[in-house]
Amino acid sequence: MATTIERRAEEAEARVAGREPRLPGERRHVLSRAALYTVLSILGVIAAVPFVWMILASFKSGSELRQIPPTFWPQDPTLDNYTTILNDPELPLALIYRNSLFVAVTVVVATLFTSSLLGYVFAKYEFRGRQPLFWFVLATMMIPAQVTMIPAYLILVQLGLLNNLWGLVLPAFVDAFGIFLMRQFMLSIPDDEISSARVDGASEWRIYRSIVLPQLKPALATLGMLTFMFHWNAYLWPLIVLTEQSKRTIPIIQTWYATQHTAQLNLVMAASVLMVIPVLIVFALSQRWVVRGLTMTGTK
Amino acid sequence: MASATIERPKPERRWFGGRQGAQRRFVAAVLSPALAYMAVFLLLPVAWALLLAFFDFSPRRTGSPFLGLGLDNPFVGVEHFRRMFDFSSTAPLEVRQFHTALKVTLLFAFIVVPLNLAITLPLAAMIESVRGRWKVLYRTVFFLPVLTSAVSVAIIWGFVLHPQRGLLNGVISRVTGRFTATAWTTDPDLMFLGVPIALFAIIVAYLWQDIGYNLVIFIAALQAIPDSVKDAARVDGATAWQTFRYITLPLLKPTILLASVLTMISAFQVFDLFQVMTNGGPDDQTRALSLDIYESAFRYQRMGWAAAVSVVLFLLVFTISVVQSRFLRANWEY
Repeated sequence: MATTIERRAEEAEARVAGREPRLPGERRHVLSRAALYTVLSILGVIAAVPFVWMILASFKSGSELRQIPPTFWPQDPTLDNYTTILNDPELPLALIYRNSLFVAVTVVVATLFTSSLLGYVFAKYEFRGRQPLFWFVLATMMIPAQVTMIPAYLILVQLGLLNNLWGLVLPAFVDAFGIFLMRQFMLSIPDDEISSARVDGASEWRIYRSIVLPQLKPALATLGMLTFMFHWNAYLWPLIVLTEQSKRTIPIIQTWYATQHTAQLNLVMAASVLMVIPVLIVFALSQRWVVRGLTMTGTK
Repeated sequence: MASATIERPKPERRWFGGRQGAQRRFVAAVLSPALAYMAVFLLLPVAWALLLAFFDFSPRRTGSPFLGLGLDNPFVGVEHFRRMFDFSSTAPLEVRQFHTALKVTLLFAFIVVPLNLAITLPLAAMIESVRGRWKVLYRTVFFLPVLTSAVSVAIIWGFVLHPQRGLLNGVISRVTGRFTATAWTTDPDLMFLGVPIALFAIIVAYLWQDIGYNLVIFIAALQAIPDSVKDAARVDGATAWQTFRYITLPLLKPTILLASVLTMISAFQVFDLFQVMTNGGPDDQTRALSLDIYESAFRYQRMGWAAAVSVVLFLLVFTISVVQSRFLRANWEY
């Protein structure tokens, strides 16, 4: 009882002084905040250390890397690993980057087009079988890639697309997750503008292009980022489809290079830095789009 | 006489004219190519996979014109599924490898999911209670591995755990003063509570990559809880722990369930880490189902058998999804 009265008095005093009233536990607050930041920082360092370890190793010489026990900071930092890699004719980085870019960008463009169009149709048009069709699209998301990859491979053999970058692009033209994301986003867009454009005599395609697409921009950015990331990092399907070295994408070449140089991890790490860090920076800068996409739907 | 009849306008020209017709044509123009595409690239593969599971199919042998089935790729009925229950020591190698793979995948999933939640939930609450720039910084640090390709994660962790050059053994030698080249990912005799250490190595790498994802989901869910609820509890004298235990946690329940099921489903399908970090070794101790399917289908060309195993994987994932929808049916409002 006494404490309550004391607290009331304190609150009143604080208000007079123009401060925010203190809540119980406020005194321990500073201490617990310090503990909080300490714990988070320690965990953050642990989370970042594997990256740091990779980057530091890429600046170590081969002989330093063979030291036992291993060193953490490079004793004699060198760029030799990078020059070796950039001059390695077996590792045409520009070509591999181009392959990966071609696949990721083409899939992004195709997916954004088909997802926005189909999401729009599912959200804003009445037609028979709409609900079951939409459920069918959703259901396809539940099928593991391991089930479809064997027949999909056999289909590519028939189409003559094995060992062809189009073999990665073609099966990814329509994305169930993308349709779902776009439809959810479309539902929040009011119908008024669409129907008034119709009254003004705009064609359906024109409505899609000039009214729907501009409003979908944030959702398109999110889906574009997620799709790009997924196909840039994809491993299993490119591993099956691409067997020729000059056609391969970054993750495949990265593992190939690692298995070729198990005794020269300094080179492997430098190669990994060159293949990972540039896009990681791009991804990190645009992470708010990715984060939004993940939280918007709660789906992987 | 015919010229005298006045053509009455049809009541509704349903498909080919007018506003409504234009809309219908638009829907048809969008849907028909999309449906045709989905039939070829989604429906056909699923049906084909189900069919393959009942044939002894290898792309090396010649079959009938119909999907290459029949002739040298004979129909075997439920033989593949029957053999999956052959637990004798004389069972063929692929059957024993399937049993191993099933065990590895279940172990992996049931260790990963609780660990993931035990880390992400408190971590999300901690990051959420931090302000401004620091919050963004912490979130970015934990989220970067999500953006990294699984292949890179496998290569980086393979290096951290390397017997002679690895960071872990280096740190251990610093602490104990003696260097031991422990082969974390390749020594088949290293076990902890009956679980191979190599599997734990993959679990650690997977958690490192995956926690950022659930972290983001939980932070968003925490932000959705109105401040007024938490403030009311604080004014009533609840400690931070009590607020978390009795206010936040119950309100997060639907998100926790959803996150745990999604994590479980993706844990069942992990391929990249297993293939690059250990390639199933040592002694098949980390041969996961997805790796087993890949090896059977594309290395040994036993596609019929591989398709049957993939159906089992699908049934596992499907069962979990059904259990999920049961759990999620209950709604929590605030």
